Amino acid sequence: MDELIYTLKTQIIEALSLEEITPEDIEDDAPLFGQGLGLDSIDALELIVLLDKNYGIKLKNPAESKSIFASVRTIAHYVAENRTK
Amino acid sequence: MIAITGYGILCAIGNNADEVLCSLQQQQSGIGPMQYLESKLRHLPVGEVKLSNDRMKALLGIQDAAPVSRTAMMGAIAIRQAVQDAGIALEGKRVTLISGTTVGCMDVTEQYYEEMKTDDGLLSLPMNNDCGMSTHDMAVMAGLEDVETCTVSTACSSALNAIILGAEMLKNDEADIVIAGGAESLTRFHLNGFNTLMILDSERCRPFDETRAGLNLGEGAAFVVLQRECSGAKAYVAGYANRCDAFHQTASSDNGEGAFLAMHDALAMAQLTPADIQYVNAHGTGTPNNDLSESQALMRIFGTQMPEVSSTKPFTGHTTSASGAIETVICLLAMQHDFTPCNLGWKKQMAAGITPTRGHTGVQLNHVLCNSFGFGGNDSLLVLSRKCPPEASEYSADEAVVELARDEIHSMEDLVALKDFVSPIESRRMGKLMKAAILTSCRALKAAHIETPDAIITATASGMLEFSQQFLDDIIRNDEQFLKPTLFMQSTHNTLSSAIAIRTKCHGYNITYSHGSDSFAWAMRDAKRQIKSGKAKTVLVGCFDESTALSNDFCKRAGKPTAPEISAVAIILASPNSSYK
Repeated sequence: MDELIYTLKTQIIEALSLEEITPEDIEDDAPLFGQGLGLDSIDALELIVLLDKNYGIKLKNPAESKSIFASVRTIAHYVAENRTK
Repeated sequence: MIAITGYGILCAIGNNADEVLCSLQQQQSGIGPMQYLESKLRHLPVGEVKLSNDRMKALLGIQDAAPVSRTAMMGAIAIRQAVQDAGIALEGKRVTLISGTTVGCMDVTEQYYEEMKTDDGLLSLPMNNDCGMSTHDMAVMAGLEDVETCTVSTACSSALNAIILGAEMLKNDEADIVIAGGAESLTRFHLNGFNTLMILDSERCRPFDETRAGLNLGEGAAFVVLQRECSGAKAYVAGYANRCDAFHQTASSDNGEGAFLAMHDALAMAQLTPADIQYVNAHGTGTPNNDLSESQALMRIFGTQMPEVSSTKPFTGHTTSASGAIETVICLLAMQHDFTPCNLGWKKQMAAGITPTRGHTGVQLNHVLCNSFGFGGNDSLLVLSRKCPPEASEYSADEAVVELARDEIHSMEDLVALKDFVSPIESRRMGKLMKAAILTSCRALKAAHIETPDAIITATASGMLEFSQQFLDDIIRNDEQFLKPTLFMQSTHNTLSSAIAIRTKCHGYNITYSHGSDSFAWAMRDAKRQIKSGKAKTVLVGCFDESTALSNDFCKRAGKPTAPEISAVAIILASPNSSYK
């Protein structure tokens, strides 16, 4: 799980063009949206593309993805359970 | 007064005004499976014009086998219809053709994109997301090669802003006849772009319905002939407004502030009260966000006295930048034939929303409102009246403007200063041209001691070329999968002006000119008009363009000069009578 979490952090940094942020700056359980990194609805759409492209996960509804995208750890759990590649 | 003396239209429900009228009255939708567009997203219904490109060529008498843009052909067909409908002679008159479009000839660009990279025989095709070229092609195909042309690009409100510009130019005596409207064909670029934002419905759209789940893309063109004279008028442009929501690049504010302000201004200009409006053709895209925001704005204006409201997008699909003109013509048909169009397919009352009309016949419509909103919060609308509205003098003799400040960037190194105004996390999605536009605008405003200008007017020949090209490359490379919304969002040319509006909290007039090398001249003309008419005391004018390795390679192969990697100029203009001088 730790390896997946680290990989996800690097993928998130690249997908969202988070300049000046390293994987070490993102805490596993810190909120990604609102507080914490302060991501927004467009970032959520980018994360949906990330999961589709890298893990074959197709999320249909941005609103439903909210709980999945709560933190890097919640994303990692969802990916571990639902990945098709 | 501004009279509409003719109109032309083609869209999913008809190839001319008679056919469109018939479909509206018989409540027949034009949305269905794609027939002409070649895309992998075949599960998405679309509102296509029921003519092949070859058929359009035949209608326009084009013999040449070379590729011709569907957007430009649809525009030319609608322009020809409009001029014929007005029954006017253009000889000896000052005629201006104004078209609104978002991605110009993208249908041709995306089809030949890969070949264009190496085949010099295709160098005459538009390679730079060039909206101005589509207007030029339309003028030539419509037999209007000698008229003045202009292109407005404010995403989905483009065509409506073209009509507003036409009215302004007539009032300011800059033309005798204006032919204004817009055209946009379906493209893989647009369909995939909207798909990345996850706002497309795989069923027919259901505006203002509790179960609404997004929009259907459509295509088409419509143009109106505008004149100052009263004789031969089919209706009058009694009021109009262009306001900015200044909230988000792709979403409307919860309370519909921009739309509310625009409706308020347009009613005031028309010297009407909300109770005078009998019908509203809503923007009503069918996305959860638009319909809720627009409902809130309508409720704030009309309260409990809500007129009949419908979205006609379940008929036509969302024809994006053409929609403002297409729906203006639908309003004109409703006024001339005494009916209100149905909000097709509506079943379930939405929470906190308006209740749309199922349509009525036998209603004499004296005053109607036509709403048209676009990405970036570009909210524009028209008040159309059956009778000649009271004359209102708008322009002072004072034409002078003063330049308060100017800021320029011509190299990538200059962008490091952006961090003085924008944090790295805030700038994470900004392309280089966006960074340059924000930086020059912030510095120019600071130098002029202004926080919020009254109006923002930008000029760009090809907008954010780098992101547009990356999006096109991704469409081809990834076979229409895994596409990034960030790239698409910034491919609309008004993304710069709306980002400046969001940053400066400017709810005022907001427009983008995309007419090749004339873009800046049109922007300056408009800025002076805004100041002269007293609508704005301070105007931010931005002229922004970028180049890419690919665009410069095209230039070299075509024997044209290459363009700098980045070029941004922000100018603050003000009325000499304002306290800012």
